[in-house]
Amino acid sequence: MRTLVVYAHPVDDSFIAAARDRAILGLRSAGHEVRLTDLYADGFEPALPLDEWSNHLADPTTKPAVAGYIDDLRWAESLVLVYPTWWGGQPAMLKGWLDRVWIKGVAWDLKPGSARISPRLTNIRRLTAITSHGSSKAVNMVQGESGKRVLTRSIGFACNRFRRTTWCALYGIDAATDADRATFLDRVQRVTSKR
Amino acid sequence: MRVLLLVAHPSPASFIHAAANAATVALRSSGHHVDVIDLYAIGYRAWMSAEERHAYHSDDPIADPTVAEHVALLGQADALVFCYPTWWSTLPAILKAWLERTMVPGVGFVFNANGKVRPGLTHVKQLIGISTYGSKWLYVKAINDNGRRTLQRTLRMSTGLTTRTAWLPFYAVDSSTPQQRRAFLDRITKRMAAL
Repeated sequence: MRTLVVYAHPVDDSFIAAARDRAILGLRSAGHEVRLTDLYADGFEPALPLDEWSNHLADPTTKPAVAGYIDDLRWAESLVLVYPTWWGGQPAMLKGWLDRVWIKGVAWDLKPGSARISPRLTNIRRLTAITSHGSSKAVNMVQGESGKRVLTRSIGFACNRFRRTTWCALYGIDAATDADRATFLDRVQRVTSKR
Repeated sequence: MRVLLLVAHPSPASFIHAAANAATVALRSSGHHVDVIDLYAIGYRAWMSAEERHAYHSDDPIADPTVAEHVALLGQADALVFCYPTWWSTLPAILKAWLERTMVPGVGFVFNANGKVRPGLTHVKQLIGISTYGSKWLYVKAINDNGRRTLQRTLRMSTGLTTRTAWLPFYAVDSSTPQQRRAFLDRITKRMAAL
């Protein structure tokens, strides 16, 4: 499958960077074609600028600053997000990618005469999140798993209705041993090497 | 009371700014001291940098003068008010970044002698959210209100469970009438005057 990997972590030698590398290894081993977006390396600006907000219903062709990211989304059959969970959800860098790239005419449409938006990224049939949480699974459940819900419900809404979603998360990384980390990286490679 | 009010919207002419303004005026006329941080207006950096991430687990995790200034304001605050548009069911990137960059160890939370995470904002007695939504109430409930979860559950773990919360949502903003908008601003004024 044509697979878009979107990675967001400021530090190159982070654990999440290692997870990204193992994911790409897994994907290639299964014969998937991979495109990698590294938002930090791109110098991506996550704050939705005023002009893009003012023209949020305009055609995507009027937003050349995000044209490359739009092209990648339309190309993809599978989307893999690799990021650390901070304050319960996606880091601002990744949230900004959603705010700026998942726009009308790309992720959703508003049909004339309809008040309800319809999904447009029906080309994406597989969704995978690879993430780490500082706190335990129990703490995250009390907090309500915002990041997971953004993936399964908000991002998922815009994709194909028959998509397959995979949540691959390491909880309690602050207390994890080297063995826990190694086990997780193996899991990342296993999960991504599905055909 | 000392109130720290955050506003996150790219357009100074937005309804969110009108809401933030109504809240500020009402709070001040009740004799409260209000510090306002308008994240877009100050050109706030909407991502955690590599330098900040490296400093995060050090003894001095605050690596930026703007963050230090905000930490000082936060330390004096008895109440926090968040004014933002809900995008993709959660906080705009710039506001999410504010949580990530400001709520570092020693501020948002502290580690006790056993290395357990404990609340760091127990002086904050009130958490208030003011947000606009493109969707209707029912739809927000179905997809999930992840911004509200982030502030009322995840952040509340940092303030402690005795902190009171208030939520002032404005649903279906795109199809709202001027009368509905005025009524919402009146509701904010009343609620803030009763703080």
